[in-house]
Amino acid sequence: MAPRIHNRRVSNALLPYLTSSQSSSTPSLSSTCPSSQLFLRQFSATAAPQTRLRRQMFQWLSTEGAALKHHVPGETNYLQGRADRDSDSHEAPRPFPGNRNFVSESVLSEELRNEVYVRVVEKKKSLRAVSVELGIDMKRIAAVVRLVEMERRQQSQGKPLALPYARAVHEMIPTTPLAQEGERQTFHEPINDLPAHPLTGAQIFYPVPESRSFTRVDAGRVFSGAPTLEKAVADKISHPSDLVDDIIQNPNSIEWVGKGENARQVLQPADVRIPHPQLVKLELDRRAFPNERRTVAQRHAERVEKQEAAEQQRRERAQARREKSVQHVEPEGSRFDYRIQDAKFTKETTGADGRAPWAPGRRYGVPSDDRKRGVVKIPTRVEA
Amino acid sequence: MVLRIRLARFGNKHDPFYNIVIAQARSARGAKPLEVIGTYNPIPKKPTNLYDENASARPYKEISLDRARAKYWLGVGAQPSDPVWKLMSMAGLVEQKPTTFHKA
Repeated sequence: MAPRIHNRRVSNALLPYLTSSQSSSTPSLSSTCPSSQLFLRQFSATAAPQTRLRRQMFQWLSTEGAALKHHVPGETNYLQGRADRDSDSHEAPRPFPGNRNFVSESVLSEELRNEVYVRVVEKKKSLRAVSVELGIDMKRIAAVVRLVEMERRQQSQGKPLALPYARAVHEMIPTTPLAQEGERQTFHEPINDLPAHPLTGAQIFYPVPESRSFTRVDAGRVFSGAPTLEKAVADKISHPSDLVDDIIQNPNSIEWVGKGENARQVLQPADVRIPHPQLVKLELDRRAFPNERRTVAQRHAERVEKQEAAEQQRRERAQARREKSVQHVEPEGSRFDYRIQDAKFTKETTGADGRAPWAPGRRYGVPSDDRKRGVVKIPTRVEA
Repeated sequence: MVLRIRLARFGNKHDPFYNIVIAQARSARGAKPLEVIGTYNPIPKKPTNLYDENASARPYKEISLDRARAKYWLGVGAQPSDPVWKLMSMAGLVEQKPTTFHKA
């Protein structure tokens, strides 16, 4: 029996196939073998280098496999599912040809995400305005700004970026392009969607006389168990979106119903709760005054500006209140800072039995469910 | 009997969290205290949302404290334990304890 030899050249036998496409024949493996090496590896337990399977592998690599060596830009490089084999692979964006049911949603293209950053950070436009202009959700806008900021910081620190990876992913999945000059921007996603409110899940039989007007405002009150609006108040509301301005200016003006732990705010119509309530007003204005596009746009801009000012003011007030209740201490010679938060441990904050779940601190005699199945243990939101 | 203001450990293994409590000095650490007046999280947190100008900010530890109750209990003679003394001195409720050692 020939000695089982495993010399260095065998372990590198794949190399020519991986680096150059010229070599087409299997290299001779057991031809040259220095005697000293032979002597050293005499007792090696490694299997014989040349087997039938290996021969078949090299044959495949030089024939069919050669086509897979280079990746075609814009296409996946799988054994099955390449464009030249599956004719219908261009119909829908399918990054996983094996899974025909997976159709990829499009992602932001590089230009579009850079444009988002430029508009928000350099042109100082508000998230809301950029969201409406480009048709991107406000949360996504905020995330893009954070991530681009991070990318720029890494670049300035000279850290490497995974650019080939990003390029490859962008080739495989559809992207939303940035509109050229004079073109209309394609919207990336619907921006004014609203998740179904849990209160609206109840099936309520609520008889209403035909003579009475019953709008979304009234339906919200029925769902939250609030009494019917007085007629004088109800007559003032010609369209549910009339409520938007007041609520944006003063969110505390929303009525409360119920007592104690059951207290809840009256469910507002969708016109108020959507992310961009001003767009409803804009559309109504456009219908009413089809010939005065300029005035309509101007009025819309004013409303948005007012809303942003109100929101900014509210944010600043909340931040100031938070800052006021926190004392920052920076002891000398310590590696850490300390943040001392004012807390109130009273009967009201800890409940009558001192065990209210919202009370500050950990509870005595109450099981902590932090390891229970089904409890989310990772952070679910990022502080903005 | 002496009243102490001390820490009561909660949390899991390698994940401590303390309530700052008023308790009889000789009661067990996990026994129900007279009152909870605050919490102390000894696991340092990294400040988030840092931009270039303050990217090197130090990590911080969170304390929450009911100052009014702390003052009351100090007034009636409750004695803070050493760790609580340190926390309270940072909050400005007691004088800093003189150290028995000198840093070289």
